Parts: sequence; structure tokens; C-alpha cells
Amino acid sequence: MIILLKKEWLEMLRSYRIVWLPLLFILLGISDPLTNYYMEDILATVGNMPDGFSMTMPELAPSDLLIASLGQFQMIGLLVIVAITASMISRERQNGTATLIYVRPVSNFSIYMSKLIAMALLTLVCTIAGFGASMYYTYLLYGGVSTTAFLLLMLFYWLWLLMVIATTITFSALWTTSIAMTVAIVLFPLGILLDSVIGAYWHYSPYKLALYGASWLTTQSDYLWGTCSIVVAWTIFVSLLGIWATGWKRSTTKI
Amino acid sequence: MIAAHLTKQFGAHIVVNDVSFTLEPHTATALIGPNGAGKTTILSMLTGLLKPTAGTITNNDVQIGFLPQYPQFYPWMTVLEFTEMAARLSGLSTKEARSRAHEALSFVGLEEVLTKKTAALSGGMKQRLGIAQAIVHRPAILLLDEPVSALDPFGRRDMMSLLKKLQQTTTILYSTHILNDAEEMTDQILFLKDGALIEQGTLPSIRARYMDPRFAVTFCEQADAQAFSTQHQVELIEKTVFVPMTSYPTMQHLLSFLSTTYAPIVKIEQHTSSLEEIFMKVMSL
Repeated sequence: MIILLKKEWLEMLRSYRIVWLPLLFILLGISDPLTNYYMEDILATVGNMPDGFSMTMPELAPSDLLIASLGQFQMIGLLVIVAITASMISRERQNGTATLIYVRPVSNFSIYMSKLIAMALLTLVCTIAGFGASMYYTYLLYGGVSTTAFLLLMLFYWLWLLMVIATTITFSALWTTSIAMTVAIVLFPLGILLDSVIGAYWHYSPYKLALYGASWLTTQSDYLWGTCSIVVAWTIFVSLLGIWATGWKRSTTKI
Repeated sequence: MIAAHLTKQFGAHIVVNDVSFTLEPHTATALIGPNGAGKTTILSMLTGLLKPTAGTITNNDVQIGFLPQYPQFYPWMTVLEFTEMAARLSGLSTKEARSRAHEALSFVGLEEVLTKKTAALSGGMKQRLGIAQAIVHRPAILLLDEPVSALDPFGRRDMMSLLKKLQQTTTILYSTHILNDAEEMTDQILFLKDGALIEQGTLPSIRARYMDPRFAVTFCEQADAQAFSTQHQVELIEKTVFVPMTSYPTMQHLLSFLSTTYAPIVKIEQHTSSLEEIFMKVMSL
């Protein structure tokens, strides 16, 4: 598995994925603290406001800005992650590069896990880079938050991402790239939207893990641990399903 | 390696139908048949990528090297990196993998482009890299799908000489749709048509069965040949008639037979079927 992991790492390096994806998260992370802080100036400069217009800006706490950044990651960041992940196994089968790997004594476990671990590390870097950047400007402009709460916020966000990538890689093992991509995009970026619209009716939803994780910043949510268990259980289940699917679909590699 | 009663069915469509053969150690076997005969499907089953619908494959757990018809490499990897990874995945240690990769790549003549990305390789070089990754772990059995059909005449000659060198240490099975390729390096030929094995044997034995020895007698005038052909019921092509050697086994027999005709004859020669004619004959069975 180390060998395949090395290969995944090399691919991330050579495709510069290891650079631009964290950069995207940094950009998303700094946008909220900066735009909110300078909102008055921005409006004054380009807002084209009528004379005498005045507006009271809400008093924002540091935690509000971190949560706003989280919202950014959940939309654009998540979409990009899902788009990259959905092709990881299926593309290699479709273009035939998998053939030369599959004819060797390589286990389904190694194939699946090398992809999962590689993406887990990449998303960890993204999480740290994104929240780190957000925290940096929030700290400079608004003030700090407790270090423990901040670390826990990142940890729970990463746990959520881990579930997203494990599920998406499993889709990639099960189906072709286009189907896997469609299902994953409907399930995750769109699912979050749906959950935030009608999700008031339930508390235990994987989609809410990131928000509950952010609750460390203010008052701890009662539903955090329950939701966390669901996410972990689901991640383990889809990983097992994915390992099985990797073997089941081996013969579909283009020869 | 022994394949017994291999059958592969996709839905209602039978792609490979009850195919059995044995690959003896250090022999080269050619799998011949027109496109769509099931050659690639048989190779896929032998590599383990496809499960046969019925039948068994016995290979005593020896390592296999496989070259697909169009080998695909990760474009962002270098030639050496890919070959090393292939060796490592086949169970070699890091150190061993490195030295074997160098060895395999110089064997196929790619030692000049070790650090080149595979995306930058020409078709012929890709095929050589394909061979290198297939032999880097020194497999006992080498399976090659159409190893030369995509190459130009020079590439083809290089590839055949590489394969001939490999034949001394390895059991080789390769598919092709060109019989002339098979002629250069074959101990056994398997003829495949519509998924079924219709003929098999060594090249000399197949030749003996299908060469259909005849005397070709060429007349001076087309009319004479025509008349001779209708009179004796023999095949005619332009001014030449073909007299089967079964009826006249030696030249003397033929000459005494020909002495009955006074039409001028310019040439008499023995004629055996070319490989292409044999191929067509076997395929029309």
C-alpha cells in the first residue's frame, strides 16, 4: 500500500493539487474576515449609495467569522473536493492505466486505502490552511478565540470531509466518473443546502457535524457526539463497501 | 499453464467457447484469429482480470507479465518511476526494483529516456516500456496482446527480436492477426474463430496439413491452359494450371502425364500454400 500511496502523493505533487487546493481554501478563508471588516469602506467606495444613507454594521464576534468561513468551505471548497475525488478510481479504469496495476498482486484494500489516505491528507492540509488563514485575519481584525475550540473546530470539520471523500471514492469504485460525480455533488454540496433549508426538523444529521463542531466556540451542542458517531460509523461502512466495490469492478478496466 | 474448457459469456453473447490449451515452459505460442475472435478476452482471463463463465486456468501461482494492446501509463510519471513501481507492486524490494528496472529498461533500449515523462514517449517507445514493465519482475509467463500490430516495420522488427531473446527464458503467449508475425517465433499456434479454437499445433504440422502440395504448370498460350484445365478438372490461374501432387507424387509421373499434350509448356514448379493462404483456409473451415 505504501507503494500506491507514494504514487498518489507523486500525482498530487506533479499536478500541483497539493498547492492550488490549499490556496483555494486560504482564499475562501480570508474572504469573510476581510470583506466584513472593510464592508463600510467598500460600500463607501463602490456602493454608489445615495447621500445621507447610513447603515449600522452588525457587531461581529470572532466566532461568527469562523463560522462564515466554514460556510464558504462547505460550498465552493466542498464542490471542488468532490469533483477531484469522484474520478479517483473510475478514471484509472476508464483510461486503462489501472490495467497494469490490477494484473499485479495488489489487494483491493491497498487500492482503495491509498486513495482515501492521500485525499485525507490533502483535505487535512486544506482544513488547516483554510481555517488558519481565516483565524489569522479574524485575530488581527476582531480578536481571538480559545485555542482548544479552534483545534476542535478543525478536527470536526476534517472528520466531516473524511466522510465526504470516503463516500465519494466509494462511488468512484462503484460507477463511472460521470455517475459518481453527479451523485456525489447532489449528495454533498446540494445536500448541505437542503439540510440547511429543511433541516430544522431533525438534529442528528451528518450535514450538521461541521456546525456542531463550531459550537465549541460558543456553547457546546447537545447533538455533537451523536452526530459524530453517525459520521464515523458511515465512514467505516462506506470504506468497507468501497473496498469490496474496487474488487467487484476490477474487470471493467479498459484493456 | 493449462487452460481447460474456458468459456466467457457476456449476457447472451458467447465470446469464448470451450477453449483448451497448454503452455509448455519456455515455448512461444501464437494466438491467431481475426479481430473480434476473442483473443483479448482469453488473455484477460489468463491474467485474472476477467473471471471465466466456465472452465479453469491452472498456473501453479507463477508470476505473470502482461502487455495490453494499448498500454496506458500515468502521464506524469517518468519511465524509470513507472517501471520501478511496477516491480515494487509485483513484490520486489526497493533496491531490487531499482536494479531490475534499470536492467529491463536497458534490455528494451530505453536507457536514454529514464527521466522522461511517459506522456512524451512515441508509440514505439510506449510499446517498449510496456514490455519493460511486463518483464521487470521476471515472470515465468509473459502474455502479450497484439505486441506488434500497432508498430511500423522497424518497430515490428525490433519487437520481434526482443521477444525472441525473451523466449529463451520465458513462456510466451501472444495474440496477433498476422500469420507472418507468428512464423518468426512460434512453437505452437492456436487458431481462434468466433470464440472457438478451430485448429492448433506446431507450425510445421499445420503447414503439412494445409500446404496442399501441387505442381504449377505454365503454358505458353492461355487457350491451351484453359483447354487442359477443363479436360482434367484442375484449377486454373491465367496461363498456369495446378495439378495436385496426390495424383502425381513425383516429377516423372507428371511428365509422363503431360506428354499426352502437345501444347507448349514454359515452366513447371512445385507450389505450396503461403502462410496467408493457410490462414484463409483454416479460417474458412
